[in-house]
Amino acid sequence: MGRILFRALRKFSRSLSFKLSFFAGLVVFLVLMIFTFHAVKSQEQNLTDKVVQGAIKDSRIVKAAIWNGMMNNQREVIREIILAVGQLDRFLEIRLLDDEGVVQYASSPKPGTQTSKKRIDLSLKEFEKDPKERHWVSSSGDSLHLVDPIMNSRNCSTAACHAHPEEKKVLGALAMTVSFGSAREDFRNYANKTRIFAVVLFVVVSSAIGLAIVFLVNPGLKKLQESAALMAVGGYLPRSETYLFDEIEEVGRVFDDASRRISERTTRLSESRKLYRSLFELVPCYLTVVDRDYKIVRANRAFEVQFGNVVGMDCFAGYKGRRSRCPECLVERTFADGQPHESEEIWKVDGETAHVIVKTAPMVNDKGDITQVLEMGLNVTELVRLQKEVEKKQKEYKELFDRVPCYLTVVSKDFRVIQSNSLFKKDFGSVTDDHCFKIYKGLDEKCSNCPVEQTFQDGKSHTSEEVWLREGEETNIVVHTAALKDDRGRIASVLEMSTNITEVKRLESELALLGETIAGMSHTIKNILGGLQGGVYLLDSGLERGREDRIGHGWMMVKKNVELISDLVKGILFAAKRREPEFTVQDPGQLLKDVCDLFESKAAGGNVQLVRDFEEHMDPGLIDGAGIHSALSNLISNAIDACREVEERPRVVTVSGRRHDGRLWVEVSDNGPGIPHEVRDRLFNKFFSTKGHKGTGLGLLLTRKVIKEHRGSIRVESALGRGTAFVIEIPCERVQDDRSDRQAV
Amino acid sequence: MAKKILVVDDEPDMQAFLAAVLEDNGYETMTASDGDEALEKIKNCRPDLVSLDLLMPNKTGIKLFRELRKDPVTADIPVVMVTGLTAEDIPQMDFKKFIQERSLRPPEAYIEKPVDTKLLLDAMKEAIGGD
Repeated sequence: MGRILFRALRKFSRSLSFKLSFFAGLVVFLVLMIFTFHAVKSQEQNLTDKVVQGAIKDSRIVKAAIWNGMMNNQREVIREIILAVGQLDRFLEIRLLDDEGVVQYASSPKPGTQTSKKRIDLSLKEFEKDPKERHWVSSSGDSLHLVDPIMNSRNCSTAACHAHPEEKKVLGALAMTVSFGSAREDFRNYANKTRIFAVVLFVVVSSAIGLAIVFLVNPGLKKLQESAALMAVGGYLPRSETYLFDEIEEVGRVFDDASRRISERTTRLSESRKLYRSLFELVPCYLTVVDRDYKIVRANRAFEVQFGNVVGMDCFAGYKGRRSRCPECLVERTFADGQPHESEEIWKVDGETAHVIVKTAPMVNDKGDITQVLEMGLNVTELVRLQKEVEKKQKEYKELFDRVPCYLTVVSKDFRVIQSNSLFKKDFGSVTDDHCFKIYKGLDEKCSNCPVEQTFQDGKSHTSEEVWLREGEETNIVVHTAALKDDRGRIASVLEMSTNITEVKRLESELALLGETIAGMSHTIKNILGGLQGGVYLLDSGLERGREDRIGHGWMMVKKNVELISDLVKGILFAAKRREPEFTVQDPGQLLKDVCDLFESKAAGGNVQLVRDFEEHMDPGLIDGAGIHSALSNLISNAIDACREVEERPRVVTVSGRRHDGRLWVEVSDNGPGIPHEVRDRLFNKFFSTKGHKGTGLGLLLTRKVIKEHRGSIRVESALGRGTAFVIEIPCERVQDDRSDRQAV
Repeated sequence: MAKKILVVDDEPDMQAFLAAVLEDNGYETMTASDGDEALEKIKNCRPDLVSLDLLMPNKTGIKLFRELRKDPVTADIPVVMVTGLTAEDIPQMDFKKFIQERSLRPPEAYIEKPVDTKLLLDAMKEAIGGD
């Protein structure tokens, strides 16, 4: 019961109405008290003043009354006067003091008053300086003491009685004690009443203010309180009515407005909180919040699925199963500098090594202090694997690009080589940023029919066959192009693949040659067979019928065709055999002489003059004697055959030979019918015979082969009806003629 | 009376062989070494058949054949082509096609060298017989 009361009182004492009314009442009370105090004080002063003035007047009258007695030294008179005056109600005591302060005359004391002293405390000497009377209220406050000095005057000093010396200033004093009477009691009563009034006023004012607050302010406050409570939980109850028109109402309105806005903001905040929460939970990476003690405060679903419930654990234990902090701790760094950090780490995920990109970001409170750090781990193992694979592939492609046995270049839109492979660099040097046409062909502008340009135009692959001049030799090149596109599918550059197909071309022409050789050979063989068949028939029928002419003719045909077959087979063997040329020291002049000697009889048989236009001894050089012998034999044999086709002029074959500038130059010319233009082109390339049954078609083929083996050249000059000249030129440096190396041919 | 055959071939050996074969089979033969000579002999003593080699100096067998076919006097003389060349050997000299394109009556027969004497004689017999 007492406790409940205490609580109620406590509650009340803390209420606004109590505080306001109490302090308002207190202020009124204090003001009243101060006012009363001052009023009593001033009344008291007035009273005292009045009593003092009366006492002073009385004192003058008494002094005047006793004046004559003193002058005349009539002591009894003085006593009578003092006693008589002392009888008056208002005087409690009147005493006359001498200059020593000793009481000489005194009225009889009133009943109830204490007997006065023989002396007074005041020294009369003080009046010498200031003759004004002195007064003070008695210690009980009921009476006033007044001391009025009696000063020496001329009359006195000159009086006959007991004249006082002139230098004596104070002769004595009149001391009176005057009663304040009932006035003092009245004042006390007045003051008490005033105090009671003040207390009553305090209670009334306090109560009035308290009630006013309770009835006028509290309902509004209560409503505000309710709204605040509602607001505190994020609720909002719009106000429908107004019943007060004061500041509280205004405050209420403002509050209401604020509450509405806060409610809206709270809704938005709550929505974004939800969003962030679901983001945090569902984002496909490991998210944790770590505090300053490296404890995991929160972890998202992905993290918990992977690492279990780790909230409350140390982060290093949670992520990596470590027992102590990681040496390079991002969380620590973020706590230290407030900046986000990033690193790539190796974690164990599902028992396997995983590459994880870890990022940290500071989380700050309202004051801007970093309280926690958000740690995000993104598992990039697959990415890293793919990256490695890409790198490997890239390396492989680079290797392929480099090692591929053709020139690979990447050419830009303005035909500059921006990338090239090893073979290209080996053959052309590390020329980058130069134009492809300049590098490949030494041209100053782009080639006509450029496959790179075509690919840039249509994005398709193009091919062209080209002939480059490399170190003075013709090189057959096939160029393939392919578009290289950038991320947006635009053609950024073109891959140009140039393959040296000189060898292929050579093989191709050799193959074609072989085909033609076989075709030509079969024709030749057919002719020979025809000849043999004819010869055999004539022989047979000649023998059968005894016809000598047929036997002779037939036998001759057989012999000739057997010879042709023999030549053919020898030629085929020579052509087909991969014989290495045997270079030995030879005297070219001697070689020419040997061949000419060999054909002297054939020339004579054909009525052909064989002219030798060379020295029989020349500077020796390294020559494949057998090869050159066979080549020259073919040319001279052909020349003799050609001459035999003309009847109208003397048949001449000239064999010329010179050593010149480290080379051997030989010309075999005839004045035969000449070679038609269309035949001339096919002379060296085909198994071709213009001699019908008389040739194998292999001669010039073999000749060319030998000359090529000597890295020399052979060309033909011919004029129809005037003759033909074959010119051979081979490099043949002069060497010391060592006879022991010399081989007879 | 024995039928007269003109053997045109630039190879004397071939001439001798063909002539011997034909004589042995009852034909009378003449020989010519090139187109011009052949044309002269055809005009002087009209043969019953011409055995014609294709590749010859001066005037080729093809040229001679076309002249013979175009001349109304000689157009109906049967011609047997005897040649070492086939269409496969030299495609650009596809004479069969060439002749047919000119809307000329083709030769009565083609005989390839080396000559199969039986084929040759049969072809000639047929060509002359049909005349």
